[in-house]
Amino acid sequence: MSAPSEVRTAAPRGGRTRSKSWLATVPLLAFVVLIFGVPLVIILGGTFKREGAFSAANITESVQGAYLTAMIGSVKLSALVAVVGALLGTFLAQAVVTSRFRMLREAVLTASGVLSNFGGIPLAFAWIATLGNSGVITSALGLDSVGWSLYNFWGLALVYLYFSVPLMVVVVVPALDGLRPQWREAAQNNGANTWQYWRHVGIPVLTPTLLGGVVLLFGGAFAAYATAAAMVGGTVPLVTLQIANALSGNVLIGHENVALALSLDMIIVAGLVMAVYLPLQRRSARWLR
Amino acid sequence: MAALTPEGPMAPLTPPAMTVADGPTAPTGQGRRRRIRVWRGVILAIAAVYFLVPLLASFMFTVKAPEQDFSLDAYGQIFTTEGFGQSLLLSIGLGVATIVVVLLLTLPAMLAVRLSMPKLKPVLEVVCTLPLVVPPITFVAGINTVLQFGPDYLASTPFYQTIFAIQDENFPVVLVLAYVILALPFVYRALDAGLGAIDVRTLVEAARNLGASWPHLIFRVIVPNLRSSLASASFLTLALVLGEFTIASLLHFQTFPVWIYTISGSQAQVSVAVSVFSLLITWLLLLALSSAGARQRSGS
Amino acid sequence: MNGAKVELRGLRRNFAGTLALDGLDLTIEPGELIAFLGPSGCGKTTALRCVAGFEQPDEGAVLVDDKDITRVPANKRDAGMVFQSYSLFPNLSIKDNVAFGLRVRKVAAAKRHARAQELLELIGLPHIGERFPHQLSGGQQQRVALARALALEPRVLLLDEPLSALDAKVRISLRDEIRRLQLSLGITTIFVTHDQEEALSMADRVAVLRAGRLEQVADPATLYDRPATPFVAEFVGTMNRIPGRVSGDKVTVLGQLLPVDGEVPATPDVEVLVRPEAVQVTPDAEAIGMVLVSSFRGSTARLRIQLGDTEVLADVPGHDTTRLAPGTRVRVSLVERPVLVSAAAPQAQSATVEGLVPQHDVV
Repeated sequence: MSAPSEVRTAAPRGGRTRSKSWLATVPLLAFVVLIFGVPLVIILGGTFKREGAFSAANITESVQGAYLTAMIGSVKLSALVAVVGALLGTFLAQAVVTSRFRMLREAVLTASGVLSNFGGIPLAFAWIATLGNSGVITSALGLDSVGWSLYNFWGLALVYLYFSVPLMVVVVVPALDGLRPQWREAAQNNGANTWQYWRHVGIPVLTPTLLGGVVLLFGGAFAAYATAAAMVGGTVPLVTLQIANALSGNVLIGHENVALALSLDMIIVAGLVMAVYLPLQRRSARWLR
Repeated sequence: MAALTPEGPMAPLTPPAMTVADGPTAPTGQGRRRRIRVWRGVILAIAAVYFLVPLLASFMFTVKAPEQDFSLDAYGQIFTTEGFGQSLLLSIGLGVATIVVVLLLTLPAMLAVRLSMPKLKPVLEVVCTLPLVVPPITFVAGINTVLQFGPDYLASTPFYQTIFAIQDENFPVVLVLAYVILALPFVYRALDAGLGAIDVRTLVEAARNLGASWPHLIFRVIVPNLRSSLASASFLTLALVLGEFTIASLLHFQTFPVWIYTISGSQAQVSVAVSVFSLLITWLLLLALSSAGARQRSGS
Repeated sequence: MNGAKVELRGLRRNFAGTLALDGLDLTIEPGELIAFLGPSGCGKTTALRCVAGFEQPDEGAVLVDDKDITRVPANKRDAGMVFQSYSLFPNLSIKDNVAFGLRVRKVAAAKRHARAQELLELIGLPHIGERFPHQLSGGQQQRVALARALALEPRVLLLDEPLSALDAKVRISLRDEIRRLQLSLGITTIFVTHDQEEALSMADRVAVLRAGRLEQVADPATLYDRPATPFVAEFVGTMNRIPGRVSGDKVTVLGQLLPVDGEVPATPDVEVLVRPEAVQVTPDAEAIGMVLVSSFRGSTARLRIQLGDTEVLADVPGHDTTRLAPGTRVRVSLVERPVLVSAAAPQAQSATVEGLVPQHDVV
């Protein structure tokens, strides 16, 4: 051992490191404050400013008329996608987890990992090519003659499920794996039938994970912009599309900060929903240890 | 444990979980098992149709040609369409830069917190999870406003130069900065899982005891042990950057997804071909990553 | 509450080519505690699960009080079961865990809570009803699991290695506790274990299983002193294998001629199975034996003795250790009584003796 390292290791353990180690966190915290915090403060400040003066006009405008419709549309779409996606994802995960084929399980899990990241522009185009006005399936089945259109609320929901269901699978598989066979057997041994097992044990144990999944799916659908922009443009009222619209200057002169007010609205909604998520996740982690 | 408890060859014969309820006349094990198999098959079939049809249909869409039944021209045209190489290189460059920056920021901070300030861990977790709450579109609204402030308020200060410099069209640093924020939650979670799986403190103490210096320790001891979680953090970041449309398009930078969107008006087939192509690439990256992870697990 | 008679008739179970049960026949008397003992994969857990209804035998029947219950679903059977570990429902309080079966049967809340409290007192944990499983130690969890298994007053209690995940100290206290409860309730109990010490100390009778078949069933003393087969002899307690030579119904071993107990193998070269406490050791400077290692255990000491090219284990009184210190030359002889023999397995000699020492010690 060389002399300098001897000196270092001889120093009281942790003493020197502790006094300096906080330095390692400074770049990260400074970066977050500067790059993330400043825009947030600007959003907050800008929301309450119109034509250079303090005003609540932006926030008031952002919860009225077309903006309100857009916010409601976004919340409705996200809630639908979250609930349906969570249900379908859970059933799919259960079907895979209980399957005898290990290959199937691996394949579905890998595919879910990829598809849950498959959003944005490519997703929209894949669906447009499939079920759009001149899509392969649309023409093959003659759907256009029965008035089919992908470019509406339900079409968006169908497309959003394409990344939401896999995300739910990724979230819920570990929880399903965590349901111990002993619990089911102990329940049976105490006279419970399958339904009673699920009602008293299975579903309650899964609930935090399921709710957490719903929240994640909601957040994903709520924040999605690219897919909607490429698919429906402005025909379905969504708050993300309205913000983009306002940012691109499609607002009355002097009303530019409405985009910031809408952003604040979105952050508040997303924040409220996320606030439910973290404590739930902690609880399920404890149960499924 | 006796060898014939469920892990053994018995597992396939007794599915550990099922959702078909017992009727009033309890069905025999055989009948119930068959019902479960049917139910499972139905679910899997529906899922297969829903997830595979758009992929197949997209592919068919791209190989349709006016005169022929089958043509791969659309795929050939990808490479000749203007802006392809440029935008792809830009997105990859942004991705690599984002990975480097985000890892350089998070890894030291997370190590320091784990080793000597465990009480700060919740703080770090909240800081790194916060970006999940802020949708990218609102984030870009804020950034956009900041960038517009520059000319108005900071013209006389060096900040103006900076704000101007980070919007260089050839390599918009501002996107790297924004993407680092978007990637933080995923990177944090991947690294946290990796750090949790190895006993960092013991590793560090053992290495220090053997006289290793800090740089040596980090690059020769910590990083190799975190290889798979570093790889998954990098993959998620890369996937995120390669697919990110919202911020780039609203700040008017021609990244790869923005380019796809731009050409879709005039060359629908090519844009779908690129979409299929990008999914394939993501798939390959993930497969490479998971097999690397598996190799590491079996190696250790 | 009194125990039921449980009969296993020709149970056969095949798992994808592995025969877990190969025609198991056994009758368990009312109120008896029987231990199923055997190595991993011998079928003991499968047999238990057939009684609980989690496993359907391919052939054979399970009878409780002469009633065939083979096709009765698990949730309609009258048997309480305690699992190896982590079987408490994590989302329910201890009280609700214990009262789970009553809740399923729609017993009124007040009544089932009173019953849960009664059971918690029975297992000596009256104050934990409001807690959750993850707040309890492993030993406490297993006690609660026992209370839950007893809540419906079953006539059969099934214990699937309930102590194997616990610390040694907790294991011993809990095993006494289980035995005490079982005796006071008089409930027929099947206890699966791979720990022969556990089986011998708790059970009325021990059933040794091997490859899905019953090897021997007997009370602990008989099993230990008069094992029916070499497998049982070796699995229960520590056993020396000393080379010997058969002539007629006698065997010559270490220069002594002893009667053979049980079957006589066809080959004359055999291994004689001898318990360490049946090996007598006397200091003798002229003898070929030499003490290699001596481990003191209080009332006894176990010596490892080199005897030519074999090694022999011997248990001697603890106070003899001073005159039988390692390095001492000793003469070794066997207690005069019938011995079990098995056909010689050439390579087994030293390996078996050494392998046995740590695994199957009975102090």
